[in-house]
Amino acid sequence: MKKIIVEGLKYKYPLADSLALNDVTFDIKQGEFIGIIGKNLAGKSTLCQALVGLVPHFYKGAYGGKVIVDGLEVKNHSIADLSLKVGMVFQNPFTQVTGSKTTVYEEIAFGLENIGIPRTEIIERIDSVLDLLNIEQVKDHNPFDLSGGQMQRMAIASIIAMKPDILVLDEPTSQLDPAGSEEVFQAIQSLSKQGITVILAEHKMEKIAQYCDRVLLLNNGKVVDFDTPGKIFSREDLEGYGLTAPVYTRVCKALGVKKAGTDEYPVTLEEAERVLRGDGA
Amino acid sequence: MKKQSMWSLRLSTAALVLIPVAVGVNYIGKLLAALLKLPLWLDSIGTVLAAMLGGPIVGALAGAINNIIYGFTDPISFVYAITSVAIGLVVGILFYKGFISSWGKVLVAGLIIGLVATVVSTPINIGFWGGTTGNVWGDALYTFVLAKTDSTWLASLLDEIVVDIPDKIVVVLVSYGIFKGLPQNVVQLYTNNQKIETLD
Amino acid sequence: MKSISLYEEKASFVHDVDPITKLWYIPFAILIPIILPSFTISFLFIGLSLVLLLGAKVIRKTIPVFGFVFLILITVVLIQGMFKPENETVLFQIGPLTMYKEGLLFALTITLRVINIICAFMILVLTTKPSDLVEALVRKGMSPRIGYVIVSVFQIIPEMMATMSTITDAQRARGMETEGKLLVRIKAFIPLLGPVVLGSLINTKERAMALEVRGFNSQAPKTYLYEEKTYQFSKVLQIGMLLLTMAAVSWRIFL
Ligand SMILES: Nc1ncnc2c1ncn2[C@@H]1O[C@H](COP(=O)(O)OP(=O)(O)OP(=O)(O)O)[C@@H](O)[C@H]1O
Ligand SMILES: [Mg+2]
Repeated sequence: MKKIIVEGLKYKYPLADSLALNDVTFDIKQGEFIGIIGKNLAGKSTLCQALVGLVPHFYKGAYGGKVIVDGLEVKNHSIADLSLKVGMVFQNPFTQVTGSKTTVYEEIAFGLENIGIPRTEIIERIDSVLDLLNIEQVKDHNPFDLSGGQMQRMAIASIIAMKPDILVLDEPTSQLDPAGSEEVFQAIQSLSKQGITVILAEHKMEKIAQYCDRVLLLNNGKVVDFDTPGKIFSREDLEGYGLTAPVYTRVCKALGVKKAGTDEYPVTLEEAERVLRGDGA
Repeated sequence: MKKQSMWSLRLSTAALVLIPVAVGVNYIGKLLAALLKLPLWLDSIGTVLAAMLGGPIVGALAGAINNIIYGFTDPISFVYAITSVAIGLVVGILFYKGFISSWGKVLVAGLIIGLVATVVSTPINIGFWGGTTGNVWGDALYTFVLAKTDSTWLASLLDEIVVDIPDKIVVVLVSYGIFKGLPQNVVQLYTNNQKIETLD
Repeated sequence: MKSISLYEEKASFVHDVDPITKLWYIPFAILIPIILPSFTISFLFIGLSLVLLLGAKVIRKTIPVFGFVFLILITVVLIQGMFKPENETVLFQIGPLTMYKEGLLFALTITLRVINIICAFMILVLTTKPSDLVEALVRKGMSPRIGYVIVSVFQIIPEMMATMSTITDAQRARGMETEGKLLVRIKAFIPLLGPVVLGSLINTKERAMALEVRGFNSQAPKTYLYEEKTYQFSKVLQIGMLLLTMAAVSWRIFL
């Protein structure tokens, strides 16, 4: 089932001279884990925001084409309506703190109170996301007193608690150390396994390769390619788009070893190991 | 693009979020003025900026909420909420009419805003304090004028004017300077009046 | 994080009174002495408020506020006592300064009025958590959006102050002068204030977007994480104040 359909999407920010998104077309099935990659200013954040309706409703500007999310056409629905279906976590965790709550617990409750979830369910949901993102120990802290990494976990928890069918994450682990990032990716993957559709913009190529089913490669607001991590990271022109393939891919490429029976290089540690050991052959 | 009325009551989320920041700016402006021992209050820069960016309604709301919240640290300021509302309204209107668009005009606008603040505050001063303001220079003038003319109103008006006019001129100058330093895509955010253009 | 409100969490019967009732107490305590202007009534109300503040164990927190107000009140007493146009009856003389009865009585009226108003506000401010008051008002029908704005100020100001103190320290370390001649101090104002203000304004964009995706503009009826606090005697107290106000008005009209 197609969960997201994007057709000929064009977008220009107010006062901008050029299109931030230019004729973007793709679709995503329910439960897929999708990565969005591209160099700085390629349009990743803009595309993420187009899925939740911030583009165009929040910014205004000039808009063309169509985005349909879970049956709702974004252009004709308010951000409030869309937010019941699609949740979005932003790049900067600091500016995502609402500033109206004095504990992490209350902060997570903010969205749930707004959309009218009954009290007992609010509490159940908060307890479960605190556990999922491993921030139980700071639940009574002031949100502004958290470290960047903890804030980022809280931001993700706040959105997940709203139980959206579709989760859009814009560089959600920029403030986390490698161990913390891995933990957060595991948590997101567990949601994906429960059938939630995940769209994630990210600069960490190893993570994209490890977790994503398919990867959307953006450049200057245009879709260059939309395929499996193996196909995308095996592209010869990747560096031309300002990207470096995962380290495992680069090593195997240098050694000239491909996955057996394909034209693709390995993209994760496991794949590389298998190929180099020769058991994949 | 057609300019929409400045009196739209349906505030965008961005405009609402501007209000707490405006109150914060007022607060740190006042704090900094005290820290640097400046002879002015400088406690309405945020209200002025909010009115310039979001219009008279946002300015007035910022002013009202500002004084309500100051009231939680200093109850007297509740009483002066009306002055803050007036400042927000007048700045919003002046800005919309193009009177805050160059350094020269800003000077005049500061004068007007100072006068408005004085006219609104004076009755409050008289009703509340018998006409004085607690400012040394102003109260000295009050005493002098009262002794000479026997008019509480005149004395009180002048007491307020000597403090308010210079203060508001500096406040509007500073606010205009900050406004000019803001990126265009931020300025454009709070005006809730554009339509989505179509590229189809 | 340092709080800007004067509220102090304590256990007392005043803390246990409904915030809305305490809010009503303010116009009540201000209006009655206006309806029935007499020193006795004013003293009565100040006395009542002081007893409540004592009962709430917050009287010490009122000292800085009164300290500041007394400074202004002293100038009021001096200026009115000496220069009020209606001054006639000499009360006493200190050196070249003459104090008059009319002016001093007027200053006493002002002093009582100011103290009364401040006491009434203090009861609310010192014994009510701002977010509890806002939540009570939102439950009564105030717009949750306005509620958000008010509550968030209490969080945003300390944040901005922290940023400003970082900037102040950095600028001082780089040799900026913040003391000395007036011109030097004026010059320091903009570089200290500017960056905080610009940064905070730029942040509003992302904060607004974050609120939007968390249902800030949702049409659904809002729910609350905490159960509505139940307060005893709210109705009794509110009706009592209303009846007393009506009694005062009829006293004024008919007697
Ligand atoms: N508010 C805005 N107003 C005008 N132009 C904008 C705005 N936000 C982004 N842009 C422009 O849109 C284009 C796409 O930016 P976007 O932020 O989507 O890129 P990105 O891929 O997310 O970059 P990064 O990796 O740095 O996060 C850029 O040219 C950028 O300058
Ligand atoms: Mg981005």
